Amino acid sequence: MLIQLILVGTMVLALIMTWRRFSERVVSLREALFWSILWLAAASAVMLPWVTSRIAQFVGVGRGADLVIYASVSILFLLVFKLFVQHEKLERKLTELVRHDALRDLVDSTSSPREK
Amino acid sequence: MKVFAVIPAYREAGRIEKTIASVLSYVDGVIVVDDGSPDTTAEEARTTGVRVLRHRVNRGQGAALRTGTEAALRLGADIVLHVDADGQHDPTSIPTVLEPIRRGEVDVVLGSRFMGEEAQGMPATRRLLLIAGRTFNAFAVGVPRRVTDPQSGFRALSAAAARRLDFRQDRFAHCSEILRLVTRGEYRWVEVPVRIIYSADSLKKGQKPWDAARIAWQLFLGAFAR
Repeated sequence: MLIQLILVGTMVLALIMTWRRFSERVVSLREALFWSILWLAAASAVMLPWVTSRIAQFVGVGRGADLVIYASVSILFLLVFKLFVQHEKLERKLTELVRHDALRDLVDSTSSPREK
Repeated sequence: MKVFAVIPAYREAGRIEKTIASVLSYVDGVIVVDDGSPDTTAEEARTTGVRVLRHRVNRGQGAALRTGTEAALRLGADIVLHVDADGQHDPTSIPTVLEPIRRGEVDVVLGSRFMGEEAQGMPATRRLLLIAGRTFNAFAVGVPRRVTDPQSGFRALSAAAARRLDFRQDRFAHCSEILRLVTRGEYRWVEVPVRIIYSADSLKKGQKPWDAARIAWQLFLGAFAR
């Protein structure tokens, strides 16, 4: 089917990109292997739909494609939440920096004329 | 006992001088933290002769309060008083807020709008929102229901309590966070009646009903960002 060709083509491209990045020393061998396994697994799922269908039946979801969508949404949700938390941590670090800077203006030795 | 008032201020040009002047007679020193205002808040505050610290970037009311609290502690404060910059907190309530700590009875005093002092000009929607906030605090944040005011910014801390109180919510959620830390930690605390004066200006700048959802989200996220 055409959709299988498009998806597998995209994954082959991703695989090529991964190893190109490895040769440019942008990603390590470990990372390249991890992503390669992921792309190959995805390509296998596309080419052999009965594999995902079997897993889908095992976990109680009707079709393999549905299982892939459910899993993708769950993973995306987790990733977005993780991003939110990371963003919050960054905000807190920024606050610490801004506070540190503001407190530098505090001269402990001389009191303000309005202090009793 | 040396009392420092901490006033976090954002876009308070035209109001800040009056607030500082009204608070000054009740405390030994005032620290204004200008939270990166684009207007002349900091300049106007400086003309009153009190200490003014400046956040170069706007970080929120909670962040400014914490900066001011740390400054007060460094300056040797025995009591740190938190007061809003918009003049909503009636300064005549300050002695009531300070007294329990002065007497050594408690570590933290929380001002409440719902203990007999009639708030001036409080809209019905705000009252409803605060009642809902109290229920939310009880169920989701773990603040006991006997705390009558879920969003009071009018409070006093002993130096020891201020040193220990590790509040990290930068924006409006700090009120609920402080309530949770105080009521669930090993602090001696009390709520006292305070008078709040709502004006058209302060209502325009104040929290909106939909901020409740934002506060809930910030508290939820904060639990994971430690």
